[in-house]
Amino acid sequence: MSSVELEESLLVRVQRENFSIDAEIDRVRRRSKRIGGIATFLGVARDRSRGRDISGITFEHYEGMAQKKLREIRERALKDFAVIEVLILHRYGAIDIGENIVLIVVGAEHRADAFKACKWCIDELKQITPIWKLEQTPQGEVWVEEHP
Amino acid sequence: MVKVRLFGQLKTLTDNRSELDVPLTNGRQVKDLLAALDHAYPRIGELIQTRKVLVSVNQEIAHPDTTIKDGDEVALLPPFAGGARV
Repeated sequence: MSSVELEESLLVRVQRENFSIDAEIDRVRRRSKRIGGIATFLGVARDRSRGRDISGITFEHYEGMAQKKLREIRERALKDFAVIEVLILHRYGAIDIGENIVLIVVGAEHRADAFKACKWCIDELKQITPIWKLEQTPQGEVWVEEHP
Repeated sequence: MVKVRLFGQLKTLTDNRSELDVPLTNGRQVKDLLAALDHAYPRIGELIQTRKVLVSVNQEIAHPDTTIKDGDEVALLPPFAGGARV
């Protein structure tokens, strides 16, 4: 893999380990000097869900298909919005309360386009990416399906 | 025989198995697979009917008339994690 391909592949990742938000923003910032605004969305694990206390969350993903869908989202965002770069990262495995889950970073010349694309990316991710959430509650483990 | 991968709550219906072998004797389309599943694993069949469980073939969302070929990667996808509606 060339260094260009490697850098491209790092812009869409599904990984177990935590990530540095600063490092990921820098990864997008480095892609172009034309970037004038960077919008981010960070999803974190909360301790309450649908009236129940949550002590931890485990994410399961469909290896291969999840990455493929995230790549599609990035490519569509680059095509449909006036943005310069998009990074999408999602964690899997056991995640403690308060930890990072998902990160979207969008670089554009102007903030309005960055905000719009960032919101679209996270909304689309939640609709089409094969990732499932198992919440640990005092009553036991519950698979979550919040989109009916 | 088709190997079908399972995810999320579907695994809890099969003692946490992540894959099922489903015999396909009457046709090779997704709808035939669903009928076979309903017969062999009624609890999975019920979930498919009451929830929006999708079928993927080779990591693409399939339709009832999608043909399943030998060696295809087939999976049952229960509703994704989603998050709150916006």
